[in-house]
Amino acid sequence: MSIADYFKPVDTMTPDEVRAFLDRHKPDVYNLVDVRQPKEYERGHIPGSRLIPVAELPGRLAELDPKKPTIAY
Amino acid sequence: MEGGMHAWQGLTAAGAPDAGMSFFTVGSRPEELIALAWTLEEGSRKFYASIAGTLADNEAAKLFTDLASAEGHHKSTLLGLYRDIAKVEPGPDFPASVIAADEDRMEGGVKVSEALVWAKGRDDRGLLEMSMALETDSYDLYIKMGRRVKGENAKEVFGRLVVEEKAHLGRMAAQLDKQL
Repeated sequence: MSIADYFKPVDTMTPDEVRAFLDRHKPDVYNLVDVRQPKEYERGHIPGSRLIPVAELPGRLAELDPKKPTIAY
Repeated sequence: MEGGMHAWQGLTAAGAPDAGMSFFTVGSRPEELIALAWTLEEGSRKFYASIAGTLADNEAAKLFTDLASAEGHHKSTLLGLYRDIAKVEPGPDFPASVIAADEDRMEGGVKVSEALVWAKGRDDRGLLEMSMALETDSYDLYIKMGRRVKGENAKEVFGRLVVEEKAHLGRMAAQLDKQL
């Protein structure tokens, strides 16, 4: 990840938009990423989300399919 | 997502990333994941069948009878997938022949015996809410299993289970709405 990546525009979705998106699509057509800490994930997460804490993201980007839309929370 | 998890008001699963799989020694072999899923489905079937007879509301009782039946269908689907992948007939010792299975576990990783003790004396709404939590964890688990298994056929089967678990959740939510 380069410094330029920090300035790339990122679309945001409201929780209702995310819920509607997840309802309309099968889990294998998107990346859903929980970037919080493991304990927070254990307490509650959106079903099917992958836990990749934000500090680990740069080293674990290969786990996400770049061809699919990614929703992070 | 705006507001992060604090703003989320949809389905919420609990547990670590490998929750539901951590009660068993399960690797990445499709046969092991199928045996685990079969074990959890059988546990849920026993649980739903047991509590169906305790519910006051006839519609809710029918829902749980249907769910027990659906879990039975899932077991058959999983056995079919096992035959397809392992190229052998699952013997009478299945799933113990594949994994060190704890027969007392159901979806959500909960012990069936403990859930039945908890369920005693609960009202319909409490049972529905608890069952929705179990199904949500199951939905979460099958998405992750689908990611873990190799092969299009196995992925397709787990994808189908995901869709069906979600449909169960929809029926439970509709029933819960009637109770509110």
